[in-house]
Amino acid sequence: MIGTGIKRGTAELAILSVLEEGPLHGYEMARRIEEQTKGALRFTLAALYPMLYRMEQRGWIRGAWETSQSGRRKRCYRLTPAGKKKLSPLRKEWAELFGALKRLTKVAHA
Amino acid sequence: MPDWREIVSKGLSGLKLGAAEKEEVRAELAEHLEETYEALLREGMSESAAIRRTLSLAEDWNDLRRKIHWARKGKETMTDRMKQLWLPGILAFALSTGMLVLIQTYGPKLWVASWRGVLPLGKLYIPWLLLLPFVGAMGAYLSHRAGGSRRLMLSSAVFPVLPFLASILLVPVNLMFGDFIGQNVGLMSLVMALLGWVLVPGAALLAGALPVLFFFSRQKDPQQIAF
Repeated sequence: MIGTGIKRGTAELAILSVLEEGPLHGYEMARRIEEQTKGALRFTLAALYPMLYRMEQRGWIRGAWETSQSGRRKRCYRLTPAGKKKLSPLRKEWAELFGALKRLTKVAHA
Repeated sequence: MPDWREIVSKGLSGLKLGAAEKEEVRAELAEHLEETYEALLREGMSESAAIRRTLSLAEDWNDLRRKIHWARKGKETMTDRMKQLWLPGILAFALSTGMLVLIQTYGPKLWVASWRGVLPLGKLYIPWLLLLPFVGAMGAYLSHRAGGSRRLMLSSAVFPVLPFLASILLVPVNLMFGDFIGQNVGLMSLVMALLGWVLVPGAALLAGALPVLFFFSRQKDPQQIAF
């Protein structure tokens, strides 16, 4: 089972990455992540919204209510400058971690 | 179409946030469920299957409510493990010990279980054993309420016998490395202690915990939520 820390870290990276492409509301964010990871990452409400609220409190993203063309009110999230700044080291950290794991498993199978 | 706002309101009832903040969260989550449901219908899914699939996004409302509360408040007052295991477990232990003391003081004498009326197998406080399923149920329920998994619910329920188990396991260690306890502790006494203080009470605690576990596992089924 994947630990809470790892799951939280990957979820943060996934959210920041999709928001880098533009503002999104919760449903659209979850859908894009699921599509782009070919279903490997699926967010439940309990995984997505507490994470969004926490990231908002840290100042990485900002949410605001907007009315869509169909007249529905949706809370859209945007990446803040602090979030953009966070994304780059986060990507680097995860790339290093996965690189290390890949090397390790290759050595283990060699 | 299900009333998603009503479902979310019901699921998040008891969320300790200001009225406006709570309404904002409800609206956002209901919107998410509604969009998911509509998208599934557009994909050709049947209405009942779409409802089930949509509700699977919020399978544990207790967990969701707690996580949202922490995230919006910006702090965790107690760690998960403390709330899901230690607190329910210690409460169950305190309650079972208190009851045992009362029964030892005011209740009937202990009953010695024996094999063929000759070989004593264990000393049992029957009234205490009869009350233990309620303690087990309480431990499991408190753990569940704090969002504990099945494993933590069961651990919290059997927590009251763990100190007894630890002290029984320490007897052979003490015998090997020191003389803190009398040397006349035989294997039979250990078996009796294990039976009377761990296995039988543990089974009684589990007897109370398992229905709770079963009940809440069924309740987690999205189909159980009324529209």
